Amino acid sequence: MALDIDRYAHVESPIQRWDPRFKIAALGLFVVGIALIKTIPVAVMALVLAGLILLLTALPFHFVWHGMSFVLIFLLPFFIVMPLSYPGQSAFEVLGLGFAWEGLRLATLIFTKAMAIVFVTFSMFGSSRFDVSMLALQHLKCPKIIVQMLLFTYRYTFVFLEEMERMFVSMRARGFIARTDGRTMKVMGHFVGTLLIRSFERTDRVYKAMLSKGYQGEFHSMVTFSAGGLDGIKAVIVLIMASALVALDYSGVFNQAVQGWY
Amino acid sequence: MHISEGILPLSVWASGYAVAVTVAAVSMRNMDMEEIPKISVLTAVFFIASLIKVPLGPASIHLILNGLLGVILGRRAFIAIMLGIILQAIIFGHGGITVIGINTLMMGTGALVGYGVWRLRHLVNFKKKEMIFGALAGAIGSVTSGSMLAAFLMTTGQAFNTIAEGVLLAHIPIMIIEAVVTGACADFLHRIRPDMLTGHRKSGYQ
Repeated sequence: MALDIDRYAHVESPIQRWDPRFKIAALGLFVVGIALIKTIPVAVMALVLAGLILLLTALPFHFVWHGMSFVLIFLLPFFIVMPLSYPGQSAFEVLGLGFAWEGLRLATLIFTKAMAIVFVTFSMFGSSRFDVSMLALQHLKCPKIIVQMLLFTYRYTFVFLEEMERMFVSMRARGFIARTDGRTMKVMGHFVGTLLIRSFERTDRVYKAMLSKGYQGEFHSMVTFSAGGLDGIKAVIVLIMASALVALDYSGVFNQAVQGWY
Repeated sequence: MHISEGILPLSVWASGYAVAVTVAAVSMRNMDMEEIPKISVLTAVFFIASLIKVPLGPASIHLILNGLLGVILGRRAFIAIMLGIILQAIIFGHGGITVIGINTLMMGTGALVGYGVWRLRHLVNFKKKEMIFGALAGAIGSVTSGSMLAAFLMTTGQAFNTIAEGVLLAHIPIMIIEAVVTGACADFLHRIRPDMLTGHRKSGYQ
């Protein structure tokens, strides 16, 4: 399981060099723009633009693909479920279920928009170190306390992932096999409980260590931001793209996949 | 379990953000400095625990444990859920950036309801009540979130009615697994580290 989204943040590219504050603000607005789209052609354009941004980040293909595979597992079933469950007229029958083209259109629209947004999100957070992204969020008026907690949580996620894997190994070594029964669930409950106790005891030590180093509820970072004209230009380009997409979508040039939706 | 990006209209996800942020602000009231690392670390554990798969016949189900989060963190569970959802959106692209609010609201309400159920155990007195009320918190917490997901889908449009029904059906096995796991975990913690549970006399969380 790849949890380190910022593994390739050090790669050189125009997106990586982009000031994180400008990057997150501009791409965040781009995401909102994509979410507003209601027509398939415009959604496809958004997907292409988002794909270009992702290409610009120069993240290795296997890394991006690994991230996408989680999303695809959730999104691909839409193509089967939506046409078969769409109310109203159906074009033909598949296994006794009515197949509606309108449902397929809806599935295509959702899929395209979701993929475009995931591409942009990946470019946004895959191209800076996680702590730098979080600090940028703080500069964009995200509450300090939330940023601090996100940083902590992200950091300890890896610690406990390792801990959990160790515990699983020792469970298997003692002959545990996961089955569909009450015993397995009870063991899982105790497993989670043990994990919680270990983490709880660890936080005590972590907190004391932090206090001894002078923690007073604030995080100090060595990261400083400096933005130049180029950062602004990149942001303006992205914003123009976003507004062009939304304007094109609302101009009525393309048919909306409506009917019983929106 | 979450709503994917690209389904909800602006009005729904924008109000989802507004409500979620308000509830999060309330749930964070009177927070101590000491609680910052504690809540964060417990959030990390729940984030990891939600990767645990429980086999269900040929398939498997991921644990959600939002009821258990309520049992342990009390009203602070809401903020923990928000952190988890944000990280999930950033790291996996699960859910998505625009639906962070609505997904937080969905899972967080389940956690708060689970906490409410857990508190009711003070009213009765019998052996193993921690296990029973933990199980109830787990079951009712997950069902609350599932019903909210179904309701959001239905208000989005008729096209999603069948999917909403499917979501509700899928919550029957989820509810059972969540109940047994949460009950076992609450009982376990009560025997070994009772101070970790909310409402305990020496508990850090109220």
